Amino acid sequence: MISKMKEAFDKIRAEEELKARTRAFLAQKTQGYARCSAQPPRHLIAAAACSLFLLAGSYWLYFLPTAEISVDINPSIELGINRFDQVVTVSGYNDGGKELADSLHLKFTSYTEAIHLMLENEKVAALLSSDETLVIAVIGPDGAQCARMLSNIESCTAGQKNTHCYFSHPEQVADAHRVGLSHGKYSAFLELQALDPTVTPEAAQDMTMREIRDAINALLPGSGEEAMPSDSDSHGHHSNGQGYQHRRGWQNSSSSDA
Amino acid sequence: MRSEQEVNRAIERYADTVRRLCMVHVKNVADTEDIFQTVFLKYVLSSVSFESDSHEKAWIIRVTINACKDLLRNFFRSHTVPLDVLMEQPALLPPDHQEVLEAVLSLPPKYKDVVYLHYYEGYTAPQISRILGKNVNTVYTLLTRSRQMLREKLGGEEYDFQDERSVR
Repeated sequence: MISKMKEAFDKIRAEEELKARTRAFLAQKTQGYARCSAQPPRHLIAAAACSLFLLAGSYWLYFLPTAEISVDINPSIELGINRFDQVVTVSGYNDGGKELADSLHLKFTSYTEAIHLMLENEKVAALLSSDETLVIAVIGPDGAQCARMLSNIESCTAGQKNTHCYFSHPEQVADAHRVGLSHGKYSAFLELQALDPTVTPEAAQDMTMREIRDAINALLPGSGEEAMPSDSDSHGHHSNGQGYQHRRGWQNSSSSDA
Repeated sequence: MRSEQEVNRAIERYADTVRRLCMVHVKNVADTEDIFQTVFLKYVLSSVSFESDSHEKAWIIRVTINACKDLLRNFFRSHTVPLDVLMEQPALLPPDHQEVLEAVLSLPPKYKDVVYLHYYEGYTAPQISRILGKNVNTVYTLLTRSRQMLREKLGGEEYDFQDERSVR
């Protein structure tokens, strides 16, 4: 039976005409295989373009710093903060700063966590306990994010002595980077240079913030005692839009010192 | 989408199988052509990557059987009889094996597939169950009953069904 059935089915074959008509139908339906395979369907191109756009947009949204935090004691570090308050770039501006940036994993943490990590670092803690000055500058456009950041950083550093926080506009940043200084140190350097034009950025790079501050205090007319910069001082040297926030920062530092 | 070369190779390789399944299910040349077009267009557009030739063949068989069922389910076809049905079909069957093929074609639709797949293609009951998406025991039952029906139609002496081969 099986062999008979096999023989019977073996006789059934697809006619060449049927195959040819099927091939012609397929060629017509696919509008020619070559063209279809060479050009992906339009909706796929559109979907790919949308995905690319979304990816690029997300990348831009996340990785573009909208504010910076300049931390100077002698290690000088600048943190780029994105719109989600996450640290997206970390740059060390002298040997100490580079070493500190490498030893701490600050990228993709929140800026408050990054500040805590830096304050808890042994080297920074040792410098603070030896009466060095820590200056933290929030640099960015006027807006809610920078105001919130300054307020939070002030809270973070409220328990620290010799810590000064202020807000500044970003215009000076490019100049600071050009001479190899972080923004905080550059502001102090400008302050010192106004009193002593012989000071160079290279010299300032190796000075601690305390040393710069001491030099400023020594050169100030009528100086004789250590004082943190007054409102007029800070306004003069951080003329790029410090406003009330700048003064508020130094006021905070005074209270920290007290 | 598959390339023209791939499709031509598939047509050369599987056209006879599709043609036999069409003969089992549909009754005229126009329907057979419809099934051919449906099956191979699905093949062209399918992104399934086949692990082996047997996997590809099983896919073609399943798609062909489904296409035949869809065609037969069509309301117009199920309620009308084309004029050429009785004229065309006998002419398509090879005259020297007409008796055995007519016996297979006269089986109820659910038995035809298992008979073809088991006795001609040599698939085992578990393989048939995977291709048709049926329970293995159902396939065994269908095979047993179809054997009985074929024996009744063809007579037990001349057509021996004892060769069970690899049903299991």
